[in-house]
Amino acid sequence: MRLVGIHLKAELLALFRVPGFLIPSIGFPPLFFIMFAAPNAANTQVANQLTASFMTFAVFTVVFFQFGVNTAQERENPWYTYLKTLPAPPLTRTLALLATGLLFAALAALAVALTGALSTPLEINAGTWARLSLALLLGAVPMGLLGVSLAYLFSPKAALPVANLIYLPLSFLGGLWMPPEILPRWAQSISVTLPTRHWAELVWAAVRDRPWPQTSLLFLALYTLAFAALAGWAWRRARPE
Amino acid sequence: MPTVAALHQVHKRYRAHPALQGVDLTLNRGEVLALLGPNGAGKTTLVKILSGLLRPDRGRAELFGRDPGDHRARRLLGMTPQETGFPPTLRVREVIELVQAHYENPLPLSPLLARLGLDRLAGRSTAALSGGEKRKLAVLLAFAGNPKLALLDEPTTGLDVESRRALWREIRAFRDRGGTVLLTTHYLEEAEALADRVVILHRGRVLAEGSVAEIRAMVGVKKVRFTSPHPPSLPGFEAIRENGTRVTVYTSDADALVRMLVTNGHPFSNLEITPVSLEEAFLKLTQEKT
Repeated sequence: MRLVGIHLKAELLALFRVPGFLIPSIGFPPLFFIMFAAPNAANTQVANQLTASFMTFAVFTVVFFQFGVNTAQERENPWYTYLKTLPAPPLTRTLALLATGLLFAALAALAVALTGALSTPLEINAGTWARLSLALLLGAVPMGLLGVSLAYLFSPKAALPVANLIYLPLSFLGGLWMPPEILPRWAQSISVTLPTRHWAELVWAAVRDRPWPQTSLLFLALYTLAFAALAGWAWRRARPE
Repeated sequence: MPTVAALHQVHKRYRAHPALQGVDLTLNRGEVLALLGPNGAGKTTLVKILSGLLRPDRGRAELFGRDPGDHRARRLLGMTPQETGFPPTLRVREVIELVQAHYENPLPLSPLLARLGLDRLAGRSTAALSGGEKRKLAVLLAFAGNPKLALLDEPTTGLDVESRRALWREIRAFRDRGGTVLLTTHYLEEAEALADRVVILHRGRVLAEGSVAEIRAMVGVKKVRFTSPHPPSLPGFEAIRENGTRVTVYTSDADALVRMLVTNGHPFSNLEITPVSLEEAFLKLTQEKT
């Protein structure tokens, strides 16, 4: 456990010293929020929903790229190969990476929440924050696993473009940028099948203080299983021996 | 002498390319073993198997009595990373402390830095190090955890003479404290300066193994070439190859060969005696073995 902390520290130092990675990941969701969401947040209910949507988008960005592209680059880097020769229990680094991702995702979500609180009539009580956090975490798991799958399915150079190709439509069609009701009809019919949509449904239910929709819980559970299986298969396929 | 690590009939292939074909190797406590071989001989694969990065397809690897893939086997193993891959966002001290954190009883940092001439670089980002400094840091990392076995992959390639001597001193001091070293190198000179035992790997097989003196005798052959109108009779000498009227003989005793040519009254001209390079010695040894 002490070693996990040490690897976590090294990872965080590495992240915070590369502003080119930190600023877009933490800064873009609040920026988009100010430009596209805040002007439409006329009342508390809309403000809550839009803030929650953009928090989901922020968490999605971090877990997807943190695990997707980062894992792909780790595979190439001789330093990470070297770390594997050190006497550490097998899950040490994985746990450290997981903790890094979660911390970083929390930070990105917090940046959106602060922006929402400052620029819109946002009103969320403590109990709702707790449910919102849990909903964000529930969806972060399958999306992180999808990122890992991409990292092992594609070469490190291809992983980033492929990830972008998946990330943008998943965000847009999932209703993370604008409420799904105002999407075009064709987009709406795709939207209801996407993991990001069902993630967002849980998040919206949390901020509206409604029970979590069973269908979305089921969908998200199935996506989690499917992406876990895909990640496992891709990992085994990519091993050198 | 107690065995620190061993390979038993290890085979490893990458797709169609066989990297190791039945290698046996034993590392005894307190010795420096030099692993020599041309590029592609299987040295890197061997080191990867001993450090648990790869599993043998067949055969068995053993490190402190365990499978090298088991992290407990590696508690007393130190190793050089590839110097191209240091995390550019970390400082030298941070990299060393990260590695040391994995060991129970790491070496005190400051004297170690000083001995390798890296003390003034501790606060510098690894991205700002020169090639030679990175190489020294790589060797330092192998020793930093106070291991009992150090795997050093080409520790001094590309270093200036002074740095090379400093690293050699460090390696000897480690051995004198009871440490075991496996080092891979291109330099015969390095093996001569450090190694108690030398193993020559070629095309995934152990081609020769012995003390430095034995290996030096093996690769200390000379190449004797001369022009002769008809094939000479040279009892006791082998590997005579003719190329038109040009004769080539590989021998460890060029003097005796020339004496024989003269006393037999064999006509010859354009006599050349040249030491063979390590590469040529490898080739000669391979031809003999296959």
